[in-house]
Amino acid sequence: MAAVTAPTLPGVAGEEPTRLHVSDYLRWSVDHKIIGVQYMATALFFFIFGGALAMLIRWELLTPAIDLMADGQAYNSLFSIHGTVMIFLWIIPMIAGLGNYLVPLMLGAKDMAFPWLNAFAFWLIPPAGMLMILGYFVGQTEAGWTSYPPLSTLFSGDGQTLWALSLHLLGISSILGSINFIVTIRNMRPAGMGYFQMPLFVWAVLATSIIVVMATPFLAGALTLLILDRVAGTAFFNPAQGGDVLLWQNVFWFYSHPAVYIMVLPAFGVISELLAVHSRKPVFGYRAIALSSMAIALVGFTVWAHHMFTSLTPELRIPFMITSMIIAVPTGIKVFSWLGTIWGGKIHFTSAMLFALSFLSMFVIGGISGVMLGSVPWDIHVHDTYFVVSHLHFVLFGGSVLAIYGGIYHWFPKITGRMLDERLGKIHFWITYPAFFLTFFPMHLAGMLGMPRRVAQYAPEFQTLNVIISIAAFVLGISTFILLYNIVWSLYHGEKASANPWRALTLEWATSSPPPSTNFIGDPVPFPNPYGYGTEAAYNYVESQNKKYGTVNPADYLPAEKSTAVTSE
Amino acid sequence: MAQNVAEQGLSRDELIALRNKRTGMTVFQISWIMVFVCLIVVNWQLRSNSPTWPPAGVEPLPWALPTIVTILLVVSGWLVHNALQAINANQLGRFFGQWRAALVLGAAFVAVIAFEWITIPTTGQYSTVFRVMTAYHAVHAVAIGLYMWYVDGRVRAERVTARDTWAVEAGMKLWYFVIAAWIMFYLVLYVL
Repeated sequence: MAAVTAPTLPGVAGEEPTRLHVSDYLRWSVDHKIIGVQYMATALFFFIFGGALAMLIRWELLTPAIDLMADGQAYNSLFSIHGTVMIFLWIIPMIAGLGNYLVPLMLGAKDMAFPWLNAFAFWLIPPAGMLMILGYFVGQTEAGWTSYPPLSTLFSGDGQTLWALSLHLLGISSILGSINFIVTIRNMRPAGMGYFQMPLFVWAVLATSIIVVMATPFLAGALTLLILDRVAGTAFFNPAQGGDVLLWQNVFWFYSHPAVYIMVLPAFGVISELLAVHSRKPVFGYRAIALSSMAIALVGFTVWAHHMFTSLTPELRIPFMITSMIIAVPTGIKVFSWLGTIWGGKIHFTSAMLFALSFLSMFVIGGISGVMLGSVPWDIHVHDTYFVVSHLHFVLFGGSVLAIYGGIYHWFPKITGRMLDERLGKIHFWITYPAFFLTFFPMHLAGMLGMPRRVAQYAPEFQTLNVIISIAAFVLGISTFILLYNIVWSLYHGEKASANPWRALTLEWATSSPPPSTNFIGDPVPFPNPYGYGTEAAYNYVESQNKKYGTVNPADYLPAEKSTAVTSE
Repeated sequence: MAQNVAEQGLSRDELIALRNKRTGMTVFQISWIMVFVCLIVVNWQLRSNSPTWPPAGVEPLPWALPTIVTILLVVSGWLVHNALQAINANQLGRFFGQWRAALVLGAAFVAVIAFEWITIPTTGQYSTVFRVMTAYHAVHAVAIGLYMWYVDGRVRAERVTARDTWAVEAGMKLWYFVIAAWIMFYLVLYVL
């Protein structure tokens, strides 16, 4: 692979260019930028693995009978590992990778607060992933990503034990990573950057990290008990011996519902960055977006039992229904703030912006179906049907993954020093967007008509819907390879990126692309308002950065506007 | 924590590093205590399924000996606090006395809990949840006790000085964690 080279900064003496090779990413490093790329590359590997499993699921569901899988148990393993890999080994590590790469840069710091701990947290992931994949091939990991007992205790095999061990490692990794984020954000901001001058992505990572450190230990506790039940003869989840299956559900969902926000809050942060930069507008309602992240983190701890509406006593359903509705409020605040941000802006339909806009439309659908599921009568009607599968994918793919795609197009130049090919990016978008919609929207209909989830066989009347879904899913799967091809091609042949091709105001752009090993030359000076686009001061700030670091492509990807006098607040 | 005299001589980078360690330790403690809270939730849910707790036919655990070692554990917390003050004042003799006394009390606590663990009947949820909670806590007590022993050796080897006492401060804070977690467990297992 060609070396990815950081330019020698003009007028700066004594700073050696950073030459990085693939081998640098395969070994222990405490540089947050290398660790960030390690996270993202590992996550992309598991994305392909989990995506391949999804293709097998959709292949199996082309017909009502079992024909691809050997039996129903093989299908159970398939969707169990697919769900777990996509959540714990794709979205969460990918977001951790973006956070690792960007948070110190956005704060003007040289590295994370605990570089060694940062590397250690990452290196827990590969063995955890291997355990997970091993569990799939050992077999009998059949209880879904939620692994409810007694399926996960009495009716699963060694693969389930490996699944639990793998999640244990991933949980520890998440906690260590989040401690690092919280300390870095609290203690390592530069002079002139208070909490309310931080980029919104940093706010989102902070809120996410608070959720991780408070909720993930519950997963650790639940997994410990599950492993003890499986290997040590205890019976915490066995009612026949005084245990309680609902105990798992309570403890698991106390982690796993907030885990949804662990996956989607950083995506919110990405979207806040992208919409402001690519519409050249100040963020509308900066404080509202920042504080609504914290509100989601807080309220997220009070909604877990809506996953148990069908098994919950009636008097407990109403309070959890109310909290589940309430959490839509801070999310709605964000959505309206984002719309306010792009309203009247100079929207540049770059690939990054297209994915950000697609996030807005698709995530809102997932949010609305979430409110529907938060309503007890509706939830009972569609419980364990494809409606739930649809909702989950609209939130996690339509939310997290589309935002990640946008983030890749936006920050790839900073990370590699090369632009991604915009033409390929737009082809990627125009295939992904409709294919995503046609894959997951019809699942609402299948669910409402009563098609249960997690079954390899289904009633013949659902076949037409399933064929449409499967064909769209195959197209969606193929579209991913356009992105992967673009990444690999651009690494070798992409146009060289300037320090700040998007003319952005946050600090990660106030250094070369890619940044030198110490991130910045001297102490970076943050612009007072990280989203103060459209002002003379912002224009001058970007120009001063360009003078300092040079512009490889003088036209830049977003044209310079000296003053647009656009204000939104 | 207020800046002591020695810290005033630290460079800016050293002060930031120390601040990071202190914040990191606090966040870690808040996070990890949640595992203990989780086990308390488990205890409550299991006992809520039983008409009486302990279940009919099971004798409640005697509380006298655990109460005594709980008090000793709290005393050990006071001792490690004094030990940190001593090493900050460069009074090594006083440090070793207080630190080692805390270690002895910690060892006594673990020994008594091990005795309880061995003597409780081995069947039934009452026993199982007790064993899991106490074993989980004891693993932390032993691991952190070993770390404190290691710190003792570092001080003896003059690798911890009054200028940089973070290793001792970390040991103290981790031991506070052991004490706080045990007080929660003690209340759930023996009092409530």
